[in-house]
Amino acid sequence: MNNLTYIGQRATKRDAPQKVMGDAVYIQDMKVPGMLHGKILYGKYAHAKILKLDTSKAEKLPGVRAVITAADVPNNFKFGFIKDNPMLKSGKILSSRDEIAAVAAITPEIAEEAISLIEVEYEELPGIFDPLEAMKEGAPLVREEFKSNVLKLPWKLIAGDVEEAKKTSAFIAEGTYSTQWVTHCCLGTSGCIASFDAGNNLTMYSNTQIPSLAQNDYIEALKAFGLKNKGVRIIQCVIGGGFGSKLDTYAYEYIAILLAMKTRKPVKIVFSREEEFFATSPRQCTITKISQGCDKDGKLTFREINMVLDNGAYTSWGATTPSVMMMPISSLYRVPNIKYIAKCVYTNNTYSQAFRGYGNPQVTFAIESNIEELAEKAGINAVEFRRINANEPGDVTPQNFRITSCGMKECIDEVEKRLDWKNKVGKHNGRGVGVAAMIHNAGGARVYKSDGCGTIIKVDDFGKAVVMTGSSEIGQGSETVISQIIAEVLGIQIEDINIINNDTDVCPWDVGVHASRTTFVAGNSALGAAQKIREQIMEVAAKNLGEDAASLDIKNGVIFSIKDKEKNIPLGKVLRKAHYTLGGRMLVAEHFYDPPNENLDQNFRGNLSVTYAFGAHGVEVEVDKETGHVKILNYIAAHDVGRALNPMLLEAQIHGAGIQGIGYALGEKMIYNKGMLKNGNFLDYKMLTARDVPPMQAVIVETDEQAGPFGAKGVGEPGLVPTAPAIAAAIYDAVGVRIKDLPITPEKILKALKEKEKGA
Amino acid sequence: MKGFEYYKPLSIKEAIDLMGSLDNAKYIAGGTDVMVLVRQKKLAPANLISLRNISDLSYIDTKNGLKIGGGVTHSEIVKNEFIRKHYSALSDATGKVGSKQIRNVATVGGNICNAAPSADSACPLLVLDANVVVVGKKGEREIPIDEFFMGPNKVALEAGEIVKGFHMPDFGANTGSAYIKHTRRQAMDLPMIGIAARVTIKISGSEVGCKDAFCTIDSISNVIKRLEDEKLVCEDVRIAMGVVAPRPIRAKKAEAALKGKVISEALFEEIGEIAASESQPRDSIRGEAWYRREMVKVLTKRAILKSIDRVIRPDDTIHFDRIRG
Amino acid sequence: MIQYILTGSGGNMKKEITFTLNDEKVVVEVNPEWTLLYFLREVLEMTGTKEGCGYGECGACTVIVDGQAVNSCLYPVMEAEGRTVTTIEGVASKTGELAPIQKAMVDKGAVQCGFCTAGVVMSAKALLDEKEKPTEDDVRESIEGNLCRCTGYVNIIDAIKSVAGGR
Repeated sequence: MNNLTYIGQRATKRDAPQKVMGDAVYIQDMKVPGMLHGKILYGKYAHAKILKLDTSKAEKLPGVRAVITAADVPNNFKFGFIKDNPMLKSGKILSSRDEIAAVAAITPEIAEEAISLIEVEYEELPGIFDPLEAMKEGAPLVREEFKSNVLKLPWKLIAGDVEEAKKTSAFIAEGTYSTQWVTHCCLGTSGCIASFDAGNNLTMYSNTQIPSLAQNDYIEALKAFGLKNKGVRIIQCVIGGGFGSKLDTYAYEYIAILLAMKTRKPVKIVFSREEEFFATSPRQCTITKISQGCDKDGKLTFREINMVLDNGAYTSWGATTPSVMMMPISSLYRVPNIKYIAKCVYTNNTYSQAFRGYGNPQVTFAIESNIEELAEKAGINAVEFRRINANEPGDVTPQNFRITSCGMKECIDEVEKRLDWKNKVGKHNGRGVGVAAMIHNAGGARVYKSDGCGTIIKVDDFGKAVVMTGSSEIGQGSETVISQIIAEVLGIQIEDINIINNDTDVCPWDVGVHASRTTFVAGNSALGAAQKIREQIMEVAAKNLGEDAASLDIKNGVIFSIKDKEKNIPLGKVLRKAHYTLGGRMLVAEHFYDPPNENLDQNFRGNLSVTYAFGAHGVEVEVDKETGHVKILNYIAAHDVGRALNPMLLEAQIHGAGIQGIGYALGEKMIYNKGMLKNGNFLDYKMLTARDVPPMQAVIVETDEQAGPFGAKGVGEPGLVPTAPAIAAAIYDAVGVRIKDLPITPEKILKALKEKEKGA
Repeated sequence: MKGFEYYKPLSIKEAIDLMGSLDNAKYIAGGTDVMVLVRQKKLAPANLISLRNISDLSYIDTKNGLKIGGGVTHSEIVKNEFIRKHYSALSDATGKVGSKQIRNVATVGGNICNAAPSADSACPLLVLDANVVVVGKKGEREIPIDEFFMGPNKVALEAGEIVKGFHMPDFGANTGSAYIKHTRRQAMDLPMIGIAARVTIKISGSEVGCKDAFCTIDSISNVIKRLEDEKLVCEDVRIAMGVVAPRPIRAKKAEAALKGKVISEALFEEIGEIAASESQPRDSIRGEAWYRREMVKVLTKRAILKSIDRVIRPDDTIHFDRIRG
Repeated sequence: MIQYILTGSGGNMKKEITFTLNDEKVVVEVNPEWTLLYFLREVLEMTGTKEGCGYGECGACTVIVDGQAVNSCLYPVMEAEGRTVTTIEGVASKTGELAPIQKAMVDKGAVQCGFCTAGVVMSAKALLDEKEKPTEDDVRESIEGNLCRCTGYVNIIDAIKSVAGGR
């Protein structure tokens, strides 16, 4: 595609100037007149009986307007996708983040003091913190109201005949891998302001990633609270980071709503950093048993995975990560025979939800690490093994995913070349290289019945366009990419476009910012609306210029005849002529794009996404054999993105995800002791700093995806999917030890080295 | 709700008098420890007496050794060329504390008085034979820093006393020092362990040979072999370790084993084991005891080699840190 | 119903202090226990400076005092007396023109969610005001206390280097 003005440009982000000036208003900065401040009391133990809960002193503190406990929650309202999470807990606390009371007061300081005045007596109980223990026969029930600690979830995927394939495989590799809880560390903490109007309709100022779905959740809550048929409006402030942390609704939001109901005043709750660490839901941790086989030529024959997921005491999206993990399990490389069983188990630990990759990083760590061992057994080098099994355009995978554009081979080639892999591998002298590849959905993901996004465009008398999109801006640049698409189609400048994306009263429906779907789905939606309104514009302009609409074009806000450029009319004039006339008209267009993908059926078959993203990462490391420290000397991240609508934003996504991935691989871990979080602060939770950033190359591979807007696919999540296995492989190449348990710390490497020495 | 009053005395005497006359008062310097404790509700003072505006506490005097005031910030020390060259361990340590924002206000006096077992400037001051000059109602006194640390967050200060400064002797030529902070990430971190060393060396063989050893990128073993060949001896040694005991400690037995002997791989093995035996590391969320003990062995060797390197190549900015091998 | 009228916390008297804030002399009454961050955000409603953690570990609250970057969440407002304080609101020109570091952050794609951005700009500005030609090491050191989860720091480092390089 040539002759594009805005597509492919390194356009700067629309919201960047206000952010560098300090003018962006986040939920932390938001004030509403008459606002009260809410604070939550959490339980002191991971598992305990509440013997006494006395809020009387708190209620009497001057400045306190309301104190609530579970007794005040109408109909014992529960949230979460299986509705097992009471918004305030009573009787027993089952995890260290259980909310047991909340207050609303006129200042945050008074609210905090009121919390300290609530008297609670506990009887501590022994807890179960190991999902493998909790699964055993006779283990005490974490949730006494359910018959088993194992959740009734259907995570089982079978394709072909794994047992048969095992018999005919030339080589088989087995292993057990585990991944840890890590947390999003959004710099802007979670928060909301709940406010009712005189008719009891709710407005939520929020930093949710899923406004339309959250609207639904809040309506459920209002119904339970006795407010039927009421409206819910969500206004998003500027969002200080998402990464999936705002993909589910939390107890604090319902608490704010109930407090606002009781006090008849707006109630603001904003998490402190401590709360953000222990009271938000981390990435799902996993214990994975995997075995894979190949024939003598290195072609994969089967992949068998048994997985246990620590579900914590309540259920959120972490329990659904197996449905996404099925994607790499069935479709990373060509594998004909698949067996996957995953069990989610209740424990007295924290519970998990969505985090960039949604299960893919966890299972790709196991798959790719295990493939390294398999390749070694087969005597085939790691890069070649991947080439042999690489996905190709036109493939239909065992889950019935239809691969359209596919740049896996190109990404592997880029990594091999830029890493100088051939010359660096196999030295075993403290320096080593490793690669890993990935697949992720990139054309939406039909996890709900709708995967759609709506866009409404109106153009005004001055030649400017206002775009109302359902897609939220969480910092990734969705507004900017949408502006580029619209500017390209409408032939106007990006500066003449205003995007409105943060008010459910104004914006059309969108399922949410998740699944790397924004560029593809919101982009296509914007593209459709832009094309529709362009038709309307040309229709009116054609009349004005006395020409056929088909012989007109528009550039820089001026519509002109292709044959005779002197025959032209500015867009604003066209619009004024359209409506300043008897029987005039407005120009407005809408387009709801619901991608032609499929829900998975009961056997988990279906083309989940319209198209898929592929990529490969390569790492060169140096391992200090005396301390176990790993230094990354070079990092290459190659991604098949279809088309880079904005290379600068795209690279930024790859960098950001890559650094998160390196943290996941080498140092980040939420440390719990008997269910209590011990490192819930920025000092002891080892998120990477600017000093830790290695030399990084983001390589963009374009495969021109026909179904995507201008050929683009999604890239929000892929950047951290293959990171951990690539690093693990490089460490093995450097010093000959395989670490199968994330994070790969210096201690684990040193221990493994010493054991290797002993064995030698 | 309680708050606190905030006083800004301009002289040491004013500060001490205020402390004597107020109830529930605490000194605050850079505030990076005190303000955190207040926020965490671990400290609830009614009065804070700031030491930030007392010019008598912010001296750096480089005649006849090194004297630094308790109110000198980490950034001021990092910027000082004299300290970097001649009291390198202190420069190493202060440059790695927290972040730039922390170093700009945090004082060495505050770091030492807070006396966390992980205080980075503690081990350098121990190996640099610092005396702590303390001033209070009864006047001034000097305490050797080894006697100043009493335990976790406990130092030998009487009520109302302020650390006026740290005074270190002139070590003359042929002395180098180093501090190695072993962390998980490259900034904003506390040490898993910290090791400081100071050595005064004598070379019987060729100085150029020793220089050569450090200039080539080679394995640690080969560097040590070369130094052994040139008969390099540590005439005087100090080794200090942090985060391996309730307070920062000297590895006195290891020092004695090293003093006066020719460097060799076997000697390093030996003193590494001795130093490790003098340490009592614990398991904590920040590190496991067995690993910390291993690191004592590894980093003692590296700290000493780095100190030696600084004597042999005083004008080089890149000193031996870690070599593949 | 009890009406609670706020006059200040704990009955402490307010103190009057004078200092320079964004090139302007300010005379203000403060509660002694306020941090500089609290004073800026809650009293002056200058919300450009953010609270990311409240205990000096993330740098989102970075402001410049007497030319040095500090964490305002740990900086007692009383210590601002007699000093020169610059916040993010004082970086662009009075007519709204972005300063070179701000323009570089925009142009190099160094801003995503933006929550860390004000702190990063202040740390970078302190460095660029102090050193004419900072090295890459200087640049990384200047922002080592500013945590960012979105960008991976790569474009931020590029942006600061580009301002230094353009001199």
